[in-house]
Amino acid sequence: MDEKSSEMRILLGGPQGTGLETASQILAAAYAIGGYRVYSMREYFSNIKGRHSYIGLRVNPEKQPLAPIEGPHIVAGIDAETIFTHFTEAIQDTIIIYDTRVFKTKLRSIASMEKYFRDRVRETLEKSNYDTTVEGALRYASEELGAKSIGLDYQAILNDFSQEIGISKYQAQRYLNTILVATIANITGLSLDELKRGFKRRFGSKVEIIEDNMKLSAMVYKSTAGLKDKIKISTPHHSPDEYLVVNGNEVVAMGKIVGGLRFQSYYPITPASDESFMLETHENLENYVDKSGGIVVLQTEDEIAAISAAIGSALTGARSATATSGPGFDLMVEALGWAGINEVPVVITYYQRGGPSTGLPTRGGQQDLFSALFSSHGEFPRIVISSGDHEEAFYDAITAINWAEKYQTPVIHILDKFLANTTITLELPHLEKIAIERGDLLQAPPPNYKRFKKNGSPIAPRVVLGAENAVIWYAGDEHDEEGHIIEDPINRLEMHELRMKKLEIAHQEIPQEERAVLYGSGEDFLLVGWGSTKGVALEAIELLKREGYKGAYLHLRVFEPFPKEYVAKILSRYKPEKIIAVESNYESMAAKVITMNTGFIFKKHILKWTGRPIYVKELSLATLRILEGLSSREVLSYGA
Amino acid sequence: MVLRADYKTDLWVDWCPGCGDFGILAAIQKALSELKPKPWQVAIVSGIGCSGKTPHFIYSNGIHTLHGRSIPFATGIKLSNPDLMVIINGGDGDLLGIGAGHFVALGRRNLDITVIIHDNQVYGLTKGQASPTLQAGMKTKALPEPNIQDAINPIALALTSGYTFVARAFAMDIDHLEEVIKRAIQHKGATVIDVLQPCVTYNDIYTTQWYRKRIYRLEEEKGWNPIVERPEERYEKLGNALSKAWEWGERIPVGVFYEDRTKDTITDRIAQRIPSYYNKPPSRQAIERYGKPLLDDAKFREIFASYLVKVEK
Repeated sequence: MDEKSSEMRILLGGPQGTGLETASQILAAAYAIGGYRVYSMREYFSNIKGRHSYIGLRVNPEKQPLAPIEGPHIVAGIDAETIFTHFTEAIQDTIIIYDTRVFKTKLRSIASMEKYFRDRVRETLEKSNYDTTVEGALRYASEELGAKSIGLDYQAILNDFSQEIGISKYQAQRYLNTILVATIANITGLSLDELKRGFKRRFGSKVEIIEDNMKLSAMVYKSTAGLKDKIKISTPHHSPDEYLVVNGNEVVAMGKIVGGLRFQSYYPITPASDESFMLETHENLENYVDKSGGIVVLQTEDEIAAISAAIGSALTGARSATATSGPGFDLMVEALGWAGINEVPVVITYYQRGGPSTGLPTRGGQQDLFSALFSSHGEFPRIVISSGDHEEAFYDAITAINWAEKYQTPVIHILDKFLANTTITLELPHLEKIAIERGDLLQAPPPNYKRFKKNGSPIAPRVVLGAENAVIWYAGDEHDEEGHIIEDPINRLEMHELRMKKLEIAHQEIPQEERAVLYGSGEDFLLVGWGSTKGVALEAIELLKREGYKGAYLHLRVFEPFPKEYVAKILSRYKPEKIIAVESNYESMAAKVITMNTGFIFKKHILKWTGRPIYVKELSLATLRILEGLSSREVLSYGA
Repeated sequence: MVLRADYKTDLWVDWCPGCGDFGILAAIQKALSELKPKPWQVAIVSGIGCSGKTPHFIYSNGIHTLHGRSIPFATGIKLSNPDLMVIINGGDGDLLGIGAGHFVALGRRNLDITVIIHDNQVYGLTKGQASPTLQAGMKTKALPEPNIQDAINPIALALTSGYTFVARAFAMDIDHLEEVIKRAIQHKGATVIDVLQPCVTYNDIYTTQWYRKRIYRLEEEKGWNPIVERPEERYEKLGNALSKAWEWGERIPVGVFYEDRTKDTITDRIAQRIPSYYNKPPSRQAIERYGKPLLDDAKFREIFASYLVKVEK
């Protein structure tokens, strides 16, 4: 089921710390300026320098790619490890760019490679009688898979370059990534001028760096002249005038800024911290927006302090949040309960990574749904929103704070590493469509004001801490109307019910078809998923159309309050054996949450828990196997 | 609303008769009565345990938080509304055991908050276990065996953490405690008062009488001057304070160990980066206009210009 590609797919690999990300940013910018839609995912180890990382770029003239897909057209490696790690991913006509100086490098000499991976590579090569060297791997890719290899002497190019601009050979090493950038640019038909736009975008006013990179690029273009335009896709026709080029962390920070967030406390953790850094970079909002002050971003001593400070800040009326990942969230859950019983509008932005414990700290997954839904002792209302792509993440970041204030309860906004670290081109949001809803927030207290007034709406009018003429108490204990500790059974009966009722109100007020969204109307099968499964599911459905199967995708957006009637209705349209849950976990957690809410029991599952994202073709093939009755549970494992 | 000059609520105070908490509560209320903040301008923040109930007995905003977490809650409150007078009441276990990391962090930030440690060497509400300030070898009433963990020195820990006002007082000497509390509140920066207090139910060693025999006031010591008026005095005065911090046994000093009037606070540092901070802290900002964001498409482009790519066709 391979298809003739109408897009370019590029895999860039090398040791961490050699500027791969910069390389991908330059290329992404150059293509985006040309009007192409770009998708750039990143895989890396929990390591600062030396271990293998890679970037998967997709460049499409018409449609925004939102998932990784197998079969790169170019594999460009800084080092031997990249070749050993990715040569099996080559397809017919893949161009592999490698350093001729590592041509004879032996697999067993790559110390940074993990043993199990190396053993699997050795088996692959030995089984087909190839040498366990870069040469052997390249021959395998060529003879078994139809790839072409292009060797360049990186050091010779850098030597010439260092002489030309008068720097030492050592200093020239910093430009190693530019060799790959320029080679790829030349192969994919970017002119030097078009490439320069990418450098300018990345380096801004640093004219000298741009010029030096352009000198090196011109040299690379000359030495790869024969490769010019080898891969070329059509020019984009319908591109907008401008794009945002953003990753998941950045787009959430943008949402928070637009949504009026004024306080964020956090403790460093992958893959969440970059969001807080971005907020801090924009702390001086007053320079841009009349009436506005700044955003206070506080790095705390731990995640317990991070959420506690955010809650304290929220009590004063400032829109407040924290951002974290699984291990950090675990530390936050006691305070989450405090926010629940005290009806505090606080947002936790939760970027999932591979768990449990430290797990796969820099890899992705969707294993924390139960944790987000059920963590913390006792019962209290919470809202749980999940974003499936960058656009959703932007608007959800705003919705999260709106709902937190409207329903006076903590909101957990779940994302994952795949979204956090993936950069895409995104059309600009329309800010006039966005509402800022603060709920029943009073500027001044009415006479005899009581924060937790009982005989009214379950959502009692809120006055902030510090408001004139208001004295308010809060306690983690069960409280009376004023907020004082009380253990009276009838008060408990009433207060607890009032809090829990808020979720019912939210369930009535928020349209269910916004909390679960149906994409497509194909009647042959239904994929059900959440988070970054969205992109891959939609593309897989497109691919399966060509195999004669028409499908649809049910995308879960809000897990609490769960849109149970709507989801049950959609599920009832399909035969149970045609409904497939697709998730990046072992348990099929979302499927179980659906069962809990609707009684529907899933019979078919496609699951992946390698820490790597689900790829389009592996999902398509797995879906096909299930539809053809060959399997009920498919476990995916593509990706290095 | 009614203003109450004595800052008392109508609730029945449910501490054990004779508890040192009564003295601390009375001293706080007296200090407030003299400083006269409006009740809505004060936030009394507490952790868990007997001392955790303090906010409910004071007529001003009260935030009774989680065990060990009063400091980070208070930090968020103060950073988003720096006009609030924020006073923390926590036990020795709460602030120096489960919350010790936060205790150190507050010192590093020198945020303008007053921390009152209810230091009675035991966990009262859970029935008498050793707290982090109980010396090794001591066997208070409820302990099955003598304590085998060494004690934290709250004064020394506060001094080395960066608190700019460090004092000790005795809960049963309310007038002196009130004076120290007033000074602490008026000091700009992170302040700690280690309040020695009896636990009449579980601590049969460090009783009121035990303390009365040993306590002496630093301010009555000849030549004692803990105040740093110029930054270059800092290390000498810190050294003096540290030596005093280790005095325990026959003579126990109370009073102000250290007061640095020269150090900036974290809010000063925020204000250096965000000039509007004190006028428009997070709690006092408009964030919407007629239900719409303050940012429009043009502002969005301006703020996030570095993420924008113009397509050149």
